Amino acid sequence: MKKVLSLFFIIIIFKSGYSQSSINPDISLIGTFNTYTNFINGTPEYGKLNFATPEMELFVDGYLNPFARATANIAYEEGEFAVEELYANIVRGLPFDLQLKAGKYLVGFGKINTIHTHAWFFLERPLFHQVFFSPDGFNEVGASLSYLLPTGDLYSNLEVGVYNGQSIQMLVDTNAVERGINPIFVGRLNSFFNISDYTNLEVGLSASYGCYSKAMLNSEGDINAAMEEKPLNYLYSGIDFKYKYSPDSYSAITIQGEAIINHRDALREGNFGVDRNIDEIQKISNFGGFIYADYKFEKQFGIGVKYDYTAGIVDDEPTLTTLMNDDKNNTQGIEGWISYYPVEETTALRFGVQHLMFKYHDGTERDGETIMKLQLLFSLGPHKAHPF
Amino acid sequence: MKKLILLIFILLYNLSFPNLKVVATTSVIYDLVKEIGKDKVTIDYIARGDQDPHFVEVLPSYMVKLRNADILFKIGMGLEMWVDQLIDGSRNDKLLIVDLSTDINKKEVPNFKPDASYGDVHPYGNPHYWLDPENVKVMAKEIYENLSSKDNNNADHYKKNYDDFIKKLNDKIAEWDKKMAKLKDNSFIFFHASWTYFADRYGIKIAGYVEPKPGISPSPSHNAELVNLIKSKKIKTILMENYYSDSAPNQLSELTGIKVIKVPTAVYGIKGIDTYIQMMDYIVNQLLKV
Repeated sequence: MKKVLSLFFIIIIFKSGYSQSSINPDISLIGTFNTYTNFINGTPEYGKLNFATPEMELFVDGYLNPFARATANIAYEEGEFAVEELYANIVRGLPFDLQLKAGKYLVGFGKINTIHTHAWFFLERPLFHQVFFSPDGFNEVGASLSYLLPTGDLYSNLEVGVYNGQSIQMLVDTNAVERGINPIFVGRLNSFFNISDYTNLEVGLSASYGCYSKAMLNSEGDINAAMEEKPLNYLYSGIDFKYKYSPDSYSAITIQGEAIINHRDALREGNFGVDRNIDEIQKISNFGGFIYADYKFEKQFGIGVKYDYTAGIVDDEPTLTTLMNDDKNNTQGIEGWISYYPVEETTALRFGVQHLMFKYHDGTERDGETIMKLQLLFSLGPHKAHPF
Repeated sequence: MKKLILLIFILLYNLSFPNLKVVATTSVIYDLVKEIGKDKVTIDYIARGDQDPHFVEVLPSYMVKLRNADILFKIGMGLEMWVDQLIDGSRNDKLLIVDLSTDINKKEVPNFKPDASYGDVHPYGNPHYWLDPENVKVMAKEIYENLSSKDNNNADHYKKNYDDFIKKLNDKIAEWDKKMAKLKDNSFIFFHASWTYFADRYGIKIAGYVEPKPGISPSPSHNAELVNLIKSKKIKTILMENYYSDSAPNQLSELTGIKVIKVPTAVYGIKGIDTYIQMMDYIVNQLLKV
């Protein structure tokens, strides 16, 4: 992997010796530098000014031919390089005007997941992403097809994909079994409305289904009985919206929210006596979501607030048992931020504060946690703005 | 009965169904296509007239506009950086994309490697060429040729409309030339580097810009320099596009007494400006009021 990345950078450096021409891909670099402090009891960072390792995303993007594009996004985070995204996208020429995307990329479950983190108004990933997806969101290897529905002047898009499920497999449990080759399915239907020349609304519905783990179960209650391997399935249903009012290029109000409802199989240990430990699969349902509002003014300033709720505890390493409790534990967060864009949006200075509150079903006491972050973000090169 | 069927066929054949679906990136192009295509085209546009054409949000509804279009006319020269995403999103593999800058005599093409330290310098030159009405003739010709080529059956219709428009435009050009002769060699301050073609056409001197560099927001230090410039050269007018904030120009006005004129640089930029000719009339008349 390191050799591949080294080769990649050599090619980039070699290419940079030549001027960009129309046949070369676009190369862009997004840099992020965070300083932060927290007020979490028992942590070494408590109340101190901490400097995080700078992060970087290197985008290489361009047309492969008149019908297809390709994109690579190499990320440097926490001192390590990783292929964040690498995909090809056939954008035209397929039957029924389908678009095909294949590779590794941010999956279209909800809207915010497909937007790169540097383009978010807020600084902290929504809490439900951290519980139901992975710390890096819903990022998968697979393929998807998207179809523009024949709804006249109304933009409605249906996207369905099949993925390997690496973001969903997140259990740390001795009873968990490698889920093996068990593709997951994701779909999203979204529509876009021009409410007026200055006001737009997008709404979306998402769903994802698959096996998130397998477990070895003793469902007989007989300690001598052979353990059975059972798949544990999940079904996520999501709803999202984004509203934006932008009367001119100097000001805008954006309100955006998403919610997820999670139905999943979880392991329940029923104890019916010394010799009768029965493992059962129990269906649990819970939910998470966020909503935020951001106000941009005078072109250079922004201010916003976000509320988060999720079932589960965000920094837990989920096990088959803690997942069972996800419908009882929860985490809430409130985040505020101010942003300053000194020159266009190539440079941003952002300050954010997030406070988290935890609630455990068993009465465990845990203090709230506050993190304050000052972020400098820059964008070098022709990285394209995300669509609405 | 046969005669009736024949009559119905003839009627259906002659019904004026628009033949071509055209989308323009700006409302100025929209107006030109409307003049030349008239009832033989259905035409729509993307950037609003009161919107900075450099920065148009990529809205899915624009992709729908392009989905069934036959031709997309654009200004080109890097003005519409957003248009590729719309074209991709439309999935339209039959779309003919016409760059109207092809035959334009381009100005301010950098003879150096442009980078962001120069501001938003367009590597292919200044794209605001439609503010010189002579260039609009070039645009109109390109539009006429492409409409005729794509819809040869109506070539005569397009030719007639094109000729009519050019005649009308030539009359107005003569009128604008006469009016603007009064302002020849006058120095103006402009907000953004949109006015190079306009200034060259009418012999106006560009004394400076409110933006320190193209696309870079006004700064206090640059405003201070402009105050000295305005006073030393006795400049009387700031001409600016109406989609920019007039906060910095008004500050200059308060400090020096300079007059700020806000004008649309696109059709529908303000209420009542429904054609390119009306837009130019408005700009010229506003300048003459000073």
